[in-house]
Amino acid sequence: MRSVSIRRMGAGAVALATGAALAACGTSGGADVEVSEEPVTIRVTWWGSDARAELTNEAIAAFEKEYPNITVEGEFKDWGGYWDALATTTAANDSPDVIQMDELYLASYGDRGTLLDLNEAADLIDTSQFDEAALATGQIDGAQYAMPIGVGVPAGVVNADLFEEYGVEIPDDSTWTWDDYAAIAEELTEASDGAINGSSVTGGNDVGSVKYWARLHDNELFGEGGKVTLDPEVLASMWQYNLDLIESGGAESAAQAVESLNAGVGAGSLATGKIAMGFAYNTQITALKEASGADLRLVQLPGSGEVDANFFKPSMYWAASSQSDNPAEAALFIDFMVNYEAAAEILGTERGIPANNEMREFVSGNLSETDALAVDYMNSVVPGTPPVVTPNGGSGVEPMIQRYTQEVYFGQSSPEDAAQALIDELQAEVDAAQ
Amino acid sequence: MSAAAELHSLRRGRATTKPQNLAAFLFLLPWFIGLFLITLGPMSVSLYLSFTDYNLLQPATFTGLDNFTRMFTDDRLHQSLVVTFTYVFVSVPLQLALALGLALLLDRGARGLPFYRSAFYLPSLIGSSVAIAVLWRTVFGSAGLLNQGLALIGIQGPGWISEPSTALGTLITLNVWTFGSPMVIFLAGLRQIPTMYYEAASIDGATKWRQFLNVTLPLLTPIIFFNLVLQIINAFQSFTQAFIVSGGTGGPADSTLFYSLYLYQRGFGSFDMGYASAMAWLLLLVIGGFTAINFWASKYWVFYND
Repeated sequence: MRSVSIRRMGAGAVALATGAALAACGTSGGADVEVSEEPVTIRVTWWGSDARAELTNEAIAAFEKEYPNITVEGEFKDWGGYWDALATTTAANDSPDVIQMDELYLASYGDRGTLLDLNEAADLIDTSQFDEAALATGQIDGAQYAMPIGVGVPAGVVNADLFEEYGVEIPDDSTWTWDDYAAIAEELTEASDGAINGSSVTGGNDVGSVKYWARLHDNELFGEGGKVTLDPEVLASMWQYNLDLIESGGAESAAQAVESLNAGVGAGSLATGKIAMGFAYNTQITALKEASGADLRLVQLPGSGEVDANFFKPSMYWAASSQSDNPAEAALFIDFMVNYEAAAEILGTERGIPANNEMREFVSGNLSETDALAVDYMNSVVPGTPPVVTPNGGSGVEPMIQRYTQEVYFGQSSPEDAAQALIDELQAEVDAAQ
Repeated sequence: MSAAAELHSLRRGRATTKPQNLAAFLFLLPWFIGLFLITLGPMSVSLYLSFTDYNLLQPATFTGLDNFTRMFTDDRLHQSLVVTFTYVFVSVPLQLALALGLALLLDRGARGLPFYRSAFYLPSLIGSSVAIAVLWRTVFGSAGLLNQGLALIGIQGPGWISEPSTALGTLITLNVWTFGSPMVIFLAGLRQIPTMYYEAASIDGATKWRQFLNVTLPLLTPIIFFNLVLQIINAFQSFTQAFIVSGGTGGPADSTLFYSLYLYQRGFGSFDMGYASAMAWLLLLVIGGFTAINFWASKYWVFYND
């Protein structure tokens, strides 16, 4: 056994105790976490593109070579259908053994007992190469429900080609504020004579933008124990800032923002060169550059020079189902995917920059140009304290934010009213699930 | 064959085919199995679930009428009802009027009739498909085909599906455009009207318009009624178009939040299956109610020529 043994021993003791308690009751959800010598088949499910499926299937083949008695059946879907299928198969007690998990849904599944506490398989999954902060993103009340695969970081994106074309200087991102940002956005719109807008709307299209704005104001979206701690005034100020930016022409219109959001990263306003600055995640730079062909660069977000408001968002996790008949093999698979060079060599940064320090080091040896941009940016960010995991019942927070944001930007409700309504509705959703 | 003779032969047929009943039931068996296993079974479970708090992952707990009382204070549910009723009451009459209009045109025996009939029917075949909804999204985008066309005549069109004020309108247009199946039924209905009525009317000096009002329309009322009932039921359950066009959100700002889309969001987005089941039963009641009203009202305007 390698380092971090104290935490692990503690967890092991808890696992033993609960295991004993459960055994006493005679109802231990899944099977015992013991590696079988017999031929075993496990099912693995993930969402994502065909490209991801190809890489994952290759990694699965490498895993089967490493463990000849284990057969892995992979299934993949698109994001929307994935969660419908996961919910229904889990309800039918037929959940896949290994599940690609997202931060939004982690607690919804973990709190309801459908995920395996990986501490029960602690000697099968090596966690020594993960930072405590990274591991914590997969924990709920001390239970390790998932292993983080990769991380993404909220980032500013600037289109250097458009800056040059309209003779605007790319700002010093180590000191700029949101006021500077607005001024530059307006300058760009004016210089282009309205051919482009300087910026996208920078808040409300995704949950990360709200978290970042809140953290700039010493506030958080979620607190411990399923509490929505977001201050309505802070949220309203984010919307007001963007309303002003739309009004002045610095940002694209509300309708364009909706269209860009629906079109997705590869076809949105940033990718099509309709705007020169926007909010994204560092790992999206590959898709953005590929789609636009322009000189896109990652910059620090406004205000991050003063407050360490930025944060690492786990891009996704591997989790094991508590309904699995073969939890040990599921754990071995997760271990392989996050800890083995054989897997990292195939998977690269496709699921985000590896959260495993050794693997990050390993893959950074032969990164593509855009992947290198993403890694450099990540290394340059000084993150604040990690945000609390989205609580059970909060999985719908992103569409909810988008909906209220649209109401505000289309002038259907005031920022103040919408802020209070959103917080009330979100709290009610979380409370209903507890 | 006269009607009386036809009736007689039917009666005789029935008397002699008793042993064939068994065969009929045997042939119906697959359908019965389907009905009980995939329709009635899940329906009764959903009726039970509508009285529970059920999140899919844990056992359901009985909560009585809670889900139904919650509906009175659920603003998004009310919004979804407004959207759905607007959709039904605007798109169905428009669609039927268009279908009838084109059926009348085609019924005049234009050359190449089968071609036109197929061409007009085509949108109905693909209209509720995912592909068409995706296409629609591109056509009505701010830089889409429609706005490019408008730009030629100097009009700067909005982003039709990204503005809350026009988004529902584009979906209504999409539904109206799929007028093919009522049109084909109208065509069949028009063929059933005996030409002798028109001959008599024209001898009496009735204009084409009077012939339409006093001969065609009354004799077509059973067909109109049939189409009306079917299309209303379909429109209430509309889901695919809004789901694809808005990316499942019902946006922008809930302007295309169809009832069934909201039901889906509650069930699968928020793990609120109990409430979603209750919503499904409310929808069944609403549709059942409208169909009942339709049948009751039909006594006053539908004319059966037999």
